[in-house]
Amino acid sequence: MRRTLSGASTNRRNFLGLVGLGTASLASGGALAGCSKEPTSKGSATTAEQAAGVVPNFKDSTLVQPDVKGVRPMADGYVKYPASLADAVTEKAITSGKPVTASTPWWGPAPPAANKLVEAVNADMGGVINFSIQDGNTYGDKLNTMLGARDVPELTCIPGWEINKLARFSEGVHALFEDLTPYLAGDKVNAYPLLAGLDTKAWQDSVWGGKLMAVPFPTDSPYPSVLYYRKDAADERGIAAPTTLDELYDFGKKFTNADKGEWAFGDIWLEVQQICGAGGSENGWMKTADGKVVHRHETPEYKRAVEFMARLYAEKLIHPDVAASKGGDQTTLFKGSKIFMYATGGGSWKETWPSAVQANPKFNMQAVKVFGADKGKPPVRWQARSAIIWTFIKKGLGQERTQELLRVLNYTAAPFGTKEWELQNYGAEGTHFQRDGSGTPVTNDLWTKEFANQYVFLGGRPPVVVGGPTIPTYAADFVNWGNDATQYLEKNPWDGIKVETPSQQAAIEQPTQDKITDIQRGRTPLGDFDKVISDWKAGGGDAARDFYAKVLADNGR
Amino acid sequence: MVSAPPIAAEPRAAAKKAKKKVKAVPRRQLSFGQRLRRDWPLLLMCLPAMLLLLVFHYVPALGNVIAFQDYNPFVGDDPLEAFLYSEWIGFGNFEYLFKNPAFWDSVVTTLSITAFQLVFYFPIPILLAILLNSIMSPRIRSLVQSVVYLPHFFSWVLVVSLFQMMLGGAGLLAQTVRQAGYTPPEIMTNPDTFMFLVTSQALWKDAGWGMIVFLAALAAIDTSLYEAAAADGAGRWRRMWHITLPGLRSVIVLLLILRLGDALNVGFEQFVLQREMVGREAAEVLDTYVYYQGIAVQQWGVGAAAGLFKAVIGILLIVGANKLAHRFGEQGIYSKS
Repeated sequence: MRRTLSGASTNRRNFLGLVGLGTASLASGGALAGCSKEPTSKGSATTAEQAAGVVPNFKDSTLVQPDVKGVRPMADGYVKYPASLADAVTEKAITSGKPVTASTPWWGPAPPAANKLVEAVNADMGGVINFSIQDGNTYGDKLNTMLGARDVPELTCIPGWEINKLARFSEGVHALFEDLTPYLAGDKVNAYPLLAGLDTKAWQDSVWGGKLMAVPFPTDSPYPSVLYYRKDAADERGIAAPTTLDELYDFGKKFTNADKGEWAFGDIWLEVQQICGAGGSENGWMKTADGKVVHRHETPEYKRAVEFMARLYAEKLIHPDVAASKGGDQTTLFKGSKIFMYATGGGSWKETWPSAVQANPKFNMQAVKVFGADKGKPPVRWQARSAIIWTFIKKGLGQERTQELLRVLNYTAAPFGTKEWELQNYGAEGTHFQRDGSGTPVTNDLWTKEFANQYVFLGGRPPVVVGGPTIPTYAADFVNWGNDATQYLEKNPWDGIKVETPSQQAAIEQPTQDKITDIQRGRTPLGDFDKVISDWKAGGGDAARDFYAKVLADNGR
Repeated sequence: MVSAPPIAAEPRAAAKKAKKKVKAVPRRQLSFGQRLRRDWPLLLMCLPAMLLLLVFHYVPALGNVIAFQDYNPFVGDDPLEAFLYSEWIGFGNFEYLFKNPAFWDSVVTTLSITAFQLVFYFPIPILLAILLNSIMSPRIRSLVQSVVYLPHFFSWVLVVSLFQMMLGGAGLLAQTVRQAGYTPPEIMTNPDTFMFLVTSQALWKDAGWGMIVFLAALAAIDTSLYEAAAADGAGRWRRMWHITLPGLRSVIVLLLILRLGDALNVGFEQFVLQREMVGREAAEVLDTYVYYQGIAVQQWGVGAAAGLFKAVIGILLIVGANKLAHRFGEQGIYSKS
């Protein structure tokens, strides 16, 4: 018996050597408890210096002067549609005739496979793009499967908010996707002039392990959330938008009328934290004036925000459906005058307003001018990443094909004011839209059916805020609001560094969020807050602090 | 009754004869080819099911090795090599799980829900089937059947939003109560009564569906037994006790054993959807725990370990319950060989 076992183990030694199990475990006689070790994903960070050298040189591709200039990082706004459009890409992007496979997310009914909009853009590009359009809500799960099986299409669109959910992405990105540095670094980008028009910071955000791995989709506004309210209803009732935390509470009191099925608020948690001044743009982390790395959880501002939310829930100023589920269907409640204020992403503005105006011409959705908790105390505005989405090119397709795919992405990077931009956003004239008197495209039902942001998500384009005939003030409203808010934008010391949190430190986050939710909803007393935070510190919060501090130290910040 | 023994005796004699015949041609003499020629239609019929089992159950089961690995899908040159080259960490994933009090919390919550549903959910489809079986008019019966089946085909998202619309804080009930000048009860957001809520949702959705098996078993009961009993003067309750329930017994035991094997499975969607309403303490079941602590934070090994733990417990419970069933003279899900 003994002999056969040891004979087996010599074979196994090679095998175990391969799989990286140390000889120490063999020495321990193979006792499983002896070689057992807790799982670790160590986390990683790409340094800013690594990122700086490999990004393309910026060359502005703006064609049309904006009507409302954005204060960077806020995008420019266009109120009027340009009278004449430029033809930015004259040569066909796809020359081989081989269909391109691509995967994009979409939050809505799947568009038909026989799609005139896609056909129209394809014809202009000179080839076929076969889209696999996935449900945006479960896109992260799909990506995890695709990446784990290493079965990715030629162009893979990965939203920034999904990246942290992807197992070991910092390793996977190099195993699956092409290094674009040799194609785009520095002046090499000149072969793709429209890609050169994408923001440098967004390019820096596309660097993993010192290599340029993706084409970024720069964000239109740097704010992860916006506080919206129903200006029409507020004006009608003579109630002003709040400018302090107390006024926010009063707003809630005045608008809540449960008997009529009306509640003032949807979910405003994201905004209340920023109003109270709790910073932490980098996953909740920030650096204090005296150089300490702290998490939002530990600050008195955050505690104040939790207390305020607990009060709103206790006094039932938040719609019960929203209180009952994560998010609820806030947009529907907001459109239907069941709630009057809620917080969500900036993109929601343009998605919600036009359809609501059709049903109710008086409907006026506005962003509340940002304010601090007390008079004279400024708020903190979190800063979102410079790139909101990335497009990756599959590894090992060969130089020619990679260049061809980059030409496709060059095409999708066409700025506002080009024929390409119009085609990708509105489809073909006559088929998907008509022009109104001023030349602005007015889309029809076919567009609604066939448009799934296919080409917009396929590759990044310069940030832009454009309204439409149904919401003529939108572009100016958004850019003016954003310009005002930039003064409070938090400086993120990790800016330009891609930090991947170790998985066990990420694991502590959800239970902590759960406990804080319990406090807000009144299931746990407010007095437990300090205990929740100390549990968080002991359970991985302090370890995460060391990790984030080390990343800064490694970068000399 | 007088003629019964000879009838029973005859087949026995026939069987004896047959046995002798079979012995005369021993099995071993049939070559593989002969047996194949004899049995190929049976094999062919089994093939799709076997393939299904192989491809979707046995092959993926090999993936369980990652429970013992610090699994990294991107080492090596292809997904298969990732399994080979990922670092082996023995029982590390299990240690991580077992050391985590939140894991045990979720196990306890899961088991209490199972226990609760065993008492308050499990008997309902049986009662429903018996009730429905007593309806004489076939038209009314099929109408009721369809009505109670239907919710089974709704997704949990739909069921939960329906409950929210009816019983939620801004729902039909709450608004009616409010208009009458009272404070509405908190049905959907009360962690203390969450178990009642999920059980009633499960009942509404699946009790009708669960009834099908029992209806089939009821149909198999010989009606002459009822007639004979009625002729002997047995009332409604006596007939139920002595004929209906014994007729259902083997099916009930079978399903009970299967349910026990599934003790750590109480569903995922229903709980993930309502987690926010009542908080983690009431709604964190094993599956949501695995999702939040394994999958959502990339600890796939931990997730696989929890799955394996669940499977092992499930097998133990099934085998144990089956043993118990044998002791009570029941067939169980498989018979003693």
